[in-house]
Amino acid sequence: MKGFTATLLVCMLLGGSPGGAWPTHLACRSGGLEVFYQSCDPLQDFGLSIDECSRELKPNLSIRFGLILREDIRQLFLDVTLVSKGVSVLNFSYPICEEDFPKFSFCGRRKGEQIYFAGPVNNPAFDILQGEYEILLELYNENHSTVACANATVLCS
Amino acid sequence: MARAVSCFLLAVLLSASCKVIISSDPMCIEKEANKTYNCENLGLSKIPDTLPNKTEILEFSFNFLPTIQNTTFSRLINLTFLDLTRCQINWIHEDTFQSHRQLNTLVFTGNPLIFIAETAFNGPVALKHLFLIQTGITSLEFIPGHNLRDLESLYLGSNHISSIQLPKSFPTQSLQVLDFQNNAIHYLSKEDVTCLKPATNLSLNFNGNDIKDIEPEAFISTVFRSVNFGGMADLSVIFKGLQKSAIQSLWLGSFEDTNASDLSPAVLQGLCEMSVESINLQKHRFSDLTSATFKCFKRIRELDLTATHLTSLPSGIEGMESLKKLVLNVNHFEHLCQINAANFPSLTHLYIKGNVRRLLLRDGCLEKLGKLQQLDLSHNDLEAPDCCSVALRGLSHLQSLNLSYSEPLSLQSQAFDNCPRLELLDLAFTRLPMRAQQSPFQNLHHLQVLNLSHCFLDTSNQYLLTGLPSLRHLNLQGNQFHDGTLPRSNLLQMVDSLEVLVLSSCGLHFIDQHAFQNLRKMRHMDLSHNNLMYGSIEALGHLKGLYLNLASNNIHTVPSHLIPILSQQRIINLSHNPLECSCSNIYFLTWYKENLQKLEGSEETICATPASLRGVKLSAVKLYCGITAMGIFFLAVFSLLLTILLFFAVKFLLRWKYQHI
Repeated sequence: MKGFTATLLVCMLLGGSPGGAWPTHLACRSGGLEVFYQSCDPLQDFGLSIDECSRELKPNLSIRFGLILREDIRQLFLDVTLVSKGVSVLNFSYPICEEDFPKFSFCGRRKGEQIYFAGPVNNPAFDILQGEYEILLELYNENHSTVACANATVLCS
Repeated sequence: MARAVSCFLLAVLLSASCKVIISSDPMCIEKEANKTYNCENLGLSKIPDTLPNKTEILEFSFNFLPTIQNTTFSRLINLTFLDLTRCQINWIHEDTFQSHRQLNTLVFTGNPLIFIAETAFNGPVALKHLFLIQTGITSLEFIPGHNLRDLESLYLGSNHISSIQLPKSFPTQSLQVLDFQNNAIHYLSKEDVTCLKPATNLSLNFNGNDIKDIEPEAFISTVFRSVNFGGMADLSVIFKGLQKSAIQSLWLGSFEDTNASDLSPAVLQGLCEMSVESINLQKHRFSDLTSATFKCFKRIRELDLTATHLTSLPSGIEGMESLKKLVLNVNHFEHLCQINAANFPSLTHLYIKGNVRRLLLRDGCLEKLGKLQQLDLSHNDLEAPDCCSVALRGLSHLQSLNLSYSEPLSLQSQAFDNCPRLELLDLAFTRLPMRAQQSPFQNLHHLQVLNLSHCFLDTSNQYLLTGLPSLRHLNLQGNQFHDGTLPRSNLLQMVDSLEVLVLSSCGLHFIDQHAFQNLRKMRHMDLSHNNLMYGSIEALGHLKGLYLNLASNNIHTVPSHLIPILSQQRIINLSHNPLECSCSNIYFLTWYKENLQKLEGSEETICATPASLRGVKLSAVKLYCGITAMGIFFLAVFSLLLTILLFFAVKFLLRWKYQHI
């Protein structure tokens, strides 16, 4: 029995439990703001950090992220769903790479490439009200294949 | 120590047994029988035995093949396309593809290659596309070139290449695409580019290389189809290096995350020294923009100034008389006249979409564009009080007009009478308030495609679509009909040439039996996402060979007299309907199984009732609707009782009769 348990444990460590979740990471913690995220792409995790967190979010934030592309990203779109106290507050979709307007230098890179991006993201400035928010972020290409998916939690105190 | 070793051994043993458990049943997805298979993300360390020998297209990315050699793929001799992205390949040994004569495309993106053997690519008769993106290449000598005579595209992005000089023996005569994105190329010499001379019609990509210098006249030797220097900080270096070159399409755009210096007239002076047909300068900023800024753009036919922070274009630009295509998307114009259209009398294509601020469509701003064929003004929150006759004055050659995603446009009668040659009109997601009985599209004799999805139309206006004799394709998605009914006399009666009709998400409950009677040329009918029941199928009785989409409706059963109507169509989608899988629907269920080849979305066509069959695919349902054993028993008992009763009745009757004789 003990052997069986050990085998199971080793299996879990080696293969990753099927259906198991990726670890939760801290994207930033400063100025009364904490941002945690967890990859919701069953195939892989990714890395993200935000340079300057604060309740009064500055425009044009710099971020860093690293991931392996599982799809070509000639076209790339971002869907954001913001939930506060179980109620969906905001939904929007934003094109990042388009055939006639690649906004970022990584647009057009191919499946299998490892991407590391450090740079500004062109966000507007806004103040975050005190509370806890759930944000679902999805990056996908023109075939609606997932490029990255994140469940983020924002704690503003 | 011994204990540690035994622990280690145990761990190895255990992990070995795990591997077996984990990879016990990897299943490739069959996309096309005996031809196309997808084995991505399965952690395979060899080609599965289940793949047929005839496989032609194999997607094998994200597996585990540290070494590939001539035995690895030897069974699959018909391969034409092989994707080995991120398979952790270190070694490509001798004669790996020796038996693969048909191989056309090889993808090695994201593999940490240590060595490719000299004869690795021997075998294929004509290998055309080779992807070596992010494989750690530092020098082009790494690629054994002698069996690459027919190579058309070579992708070398995201490596550590600093010189584009190909080895002398490398065949370049068939090359059409040479992609050096995101490498470390800082300098291009004349000799580097001369190597590419045998390739005619070449597309070269240097996007994301920090090029500091180009030897003057380096590009003089060849005509290039396209050259991309995207993300370069200083364009004067590029212009200097491209002196006396001939390039059809030159991409010099910048990005959100790269630095760009301002484009001064002095920098753009370089364009006078070269021949370019099409140029893209996205996301740059012009310093002191005057008509003189464009004096070297005389030979340019296509100009893309997307997101170049423009608030207006200067008037009196000379030398742009022959510009054919102008892209001014994502700029800051206040009204359309600020583009000073008179500068570009030969323009055939004009795109001004996604303007950062609300764009006003003033009268006659484009009237000098008599040759314009295509105009895109979508996503501009466009505002026009009385659209669109005066605003589109002079556009007598316009064939395609996109006004989708605008603010409400109140259309006049004959709103497009200044554009009589219009073939395509897109008004999707633009509210169209109009007076009753109005016919805004009248006299568009050539209009073939009309997109009116989500326009909040008054669908009870039967004259809405009058005067469209050539209309083939009509999209009315997301418009509501009164009472959810499409009545016998409706707006579609005016457009009898229709071949494609989209009525999805229109809140329809019922379609009258004669609603489509004038439409005799229909090929494609989309009625999905409504609340239709089987009764509406009668409206399609006179149509044959349709692609018919009835997905996401309210169809429970289909009675037997309607089944011939479905039978005469080409492809039918009935997915996401609350279908009944009981004997009351047996005719339909039998028909469904016999016609699986014409049914689309059969994976999502499932039973809703009875509860015991909920979620079961219709194609998997087995029903026996004859009389059951229990039924036969009861029937036998019943007839026995009836016989006995009859016997006694006759006996009683006879006795009664004889008593009275």
